[in-house]
Amino acid sequence: MKDKIKYIATVVVSASLIFGFTGWFMLKEPTEYSESERRALSLLPDLSFEAVLSGKYMSEFENASPDQFPLRDLFRSIKAYASEYIFNKKDNNKIFVADGHLSKLEYPMKDDMIDYAGEKFSYIYDKYLKNTDAEIYHTVVPDKNCFIAKENGYLAFDYGVFAEKMTEKLPFSEYIDIMPLLSADDYYTTDTHWKQENIVDVAKKLSTSMGASFEDIFRENKLEQPFYGVYYNQSGLKVPTDEMIYLTSDVIDGCTVTNYDTGKAVEKPVYDMSKAEGADLYEIFLSGTVAVSVIENPAAAEKKELVLFRDSFGSSLAPLLISGYSKITVVDIRYIASSVLSGVVDFENADSVLFLYSTVLLNNSVAMK
Amino acid sequence: MLFSSISFLYFFLPAVLLLYAVAPKGLKNTVLLLSGLIFYAWGEPRYVVIMVISILVGYVFGLLIEKFRGSKLSKVFMILSVCVDLGLLVYFKYVDFFIENFNNATGLGIPLLRIALPIGISFYTFQILSYTVDVYRGDVPAQKNPVNLGAYITMFPQLIAGPIVRYSDVEKELRDRKHTLQKTYEGIIRFCVGFGKKILIANALGELCEGFKTTDEKTVAFYWLYAVAFSLHIYFDFSGYSDMAIGLGRIFGFTFMENFNYPYISKSVTEFWRRWHMSLGQWFRDYVYIPMGGNRVSTLKHLRNIFTVWFLTGFWHGADWNFIVWGLYFAVLLTIEKMFLGKYLKKSKVLSRVYVLFLIVISFVIFNAAGMGEAIQYIGGMFGIGANGLFGDLWLYNLSSYALILVIAAVGATPVPKYIVGRLKETKAGDAVISVLSPVFAAVIIVLCTAYLVDGSFNPFLYFRF
Repeated sequence: MKDKIKYIATVVVSASLIFGFTGWFMLKEPTEYSESERRALSLLPDLSFEAVLSGKYMSEFENASPDQFPLRDLFRSIKAYASEYIFNKKDNNKIFVADGHLSKLEYPMKDDMIDYAGEKFSYIYDKYLKNTDAEIYHTVVPDKNCFIAKENGYLAFDYGVFAEKMTEKLPFSEYIDIMPLLSADDYYTTDTHWKQENIVDVAKKLSTSMGASFEDIFRENKLEQPFYGVYYNQSGLKVPTDEMIYLTSDVIDGCTVTNYDTGKAVEKPVYDMSKAEGADLYEIFLSGTVAVSVIENPAAAEKKELVLFRDSFGSSLAPLLISGYSKITVVDIRYIASSVLSGVVDFENADSVLFLYSTVLLNNSVAMK
Repeated sequence: MLFSSISFLYFFLPAVLLLYAVAPKGLKNTVLLLSGLIFYAWGEPRYVVIMVISILVGYVFGLLIEKFRGSKLSKVFMILSVCVDLGLLVYFKYVDFFIENFNNATGLGIPLLRIALPIGISFYTFQILSYTVDVYRGDVPAQKNPVNLGAYITMFPQLIAGPIVRYSDVEKELRDRKHTLQKTYEGIIRFCVGFGKKILIANALGELCEGFKTTDEKTVAFYWLYAVAFSLHIYFDFSGYSDMAIGLGRIFGFTFMENFNYPYISKSVTEFWRRWHMSLGQWFRDYVYIPMGGNRVSTLKHLRNIFTVWFLTGFWHGADWNFIVWGLYFAVLLTIEKMFLGKYLKKSKVLSRVYVLFLIVISFVIFNAAGMGEAIQYIGGMFGIGANGLFGDLWLYNLSSYALILVIAAVGATPVPKYIVGRLKETKAGDAVISVLSPVFAAVIIVLCTAYLVDGSFNPFLYFRF
């Protein structure tokens, strides 16, 4: 009798789970976008004779079925917790927790990627800057692994060696070392980026190193909504969220921003609050991913122009630099080809050019065009 | 289609179970046949034709062999059947290997055919061969009902990755089998054991191995970690798949043979091969080794038989030289054990196990290499030749990150868990605990494995390529 109960209980539980989720899957509406993963999900393919015969239907179905599975986010969390707490894995899909920070493994140092980035910057220098009076600078933004990884038994490469290798590739440029000004606390705990309110000293060092003035009187403004950084949802772990603070000043308030993302000039504020409604609050800084933005400062004491080649770390830094410049042209060569910059970027009048890229992007520089 | 996929677990399997449950007894094999064809077509729609041809060839030749039993024609039909089946296998699996080596030997440039390998062709070809040969030998009567034979060959639980179920083993169950609550329970538990082995252990170790293969930081320690991890990975991957197959078979009323019996506790390589991929070993024994004379021949012929069987075993696993070398490596080891080493191995349980594990780990490095060049490089690396130092950060990180999984895998590869469960069952309280935990175990494995499937895409199955 006892065995019979065991048999029935096991069969009923297993069948309920399998048939229950099958039914749920079939009845649920397709989910087109995953907020947590910030990506479009694969949809189940349409059934057709040709698609079945070619095998396309089956391969698309295999790809889509995990994406469309009911309670996908919950299952991803279960996996994350199982990986960390049952199997004691140090990372889950390369994301790990250390010192209260979520971070992603970035290892090893890829020399070919450093070479590629160096070639891109050299190309820009040769094509647009060689015959101008602009002073060329570069800095390497350490990702937070530089502060939390090695100490906690995670893989990380040596920042000093990385910056040195990068500098060797740019003989035309002066290196500005910002590493001593940063620590893990200067980064969001759930995101890859640095906190704007913590990098005023970085901005000051960059400005003064480039011969620009710097006004360090800022007002702190806090967004009401919590900031779920990029690693928060990728990790599947429930950790405390960040708060999003952005800095304003009279100078910043008076600035205008013109984005050239679609070929047309689009006016935007320095802090784009429409992005505060989206999934990634970090996009409030200069509207997030934009190919070329021009920040103009009508209150500038003198005409001084900066061209800032940057990745997303530059979005929150650029507003802090504007007090020393009449115009900053912010360029992201992940979204515009280096070969077509002359039409949208004024290099002739640039006083300074700064290449500001994080170790994460430089180590994966294939994204640069 | 893989068992370890959302599409199988939440679409194919429930649909087949429902159809199977409502089908009258006389149509249950038809449901199995059709579901097997759909299961196969899911991965290779074009190659269903090859599958159907193979079934028809087996069916027709089975009948002809039986009809002309006692005459020479019976043998002719058996040979023809073997030739057709092996011909298909050679064409799809080995023709490019032969062309490539012919080109290398002669300097000619005959273009390769680059034919995609039909999934599981090595497995189902051997099943059909066993059927026609068994009919020829008079061990089983020819199957008159093509649906029953088709259901046997296309039976999805063992279609693409074994165990290589012999027709004689399931002949009676194809005609008449019982479905009981106990069998269903046993099938579910066995399926869950295999599911967990595959998804939670094998896939994790597979990630480690993939990470090793793609890094330049190959230190001596990392070579060894890779070799050990891969040895455990292939065991959990393949035996997990076999467990799932056996469990599913049980749910459908069949009793498939065991395919693994804790091979890593073996005290000799000879014993290892009695415990590893048992259905293949027995197939080669019954259809190649013994017909060639086995060990009841002169020493020279006995050696010929051993080397032939192991050459074929290696070649069966893949059309590349490293597989052939892998097979012959075992031929040499087994010969040495038979000649003199065997008696010494019996003297120390510890040393003999260390000896086996060492040689098996080396063998799987050869097995998993992308050709002999890589095999030599990896084995050299394990002994410091061409390695990038002794230790490194990446090795240390992987060792610490996968430490628990490696320990679970190492313990799980021994009979210890089974022993503990067995001892528990002997006591009243323990038995009660197991009764309560059985449905919990099934639920936890299904949920956990579903979570891993939903989250990740790293889910290849090694034996697909065979």
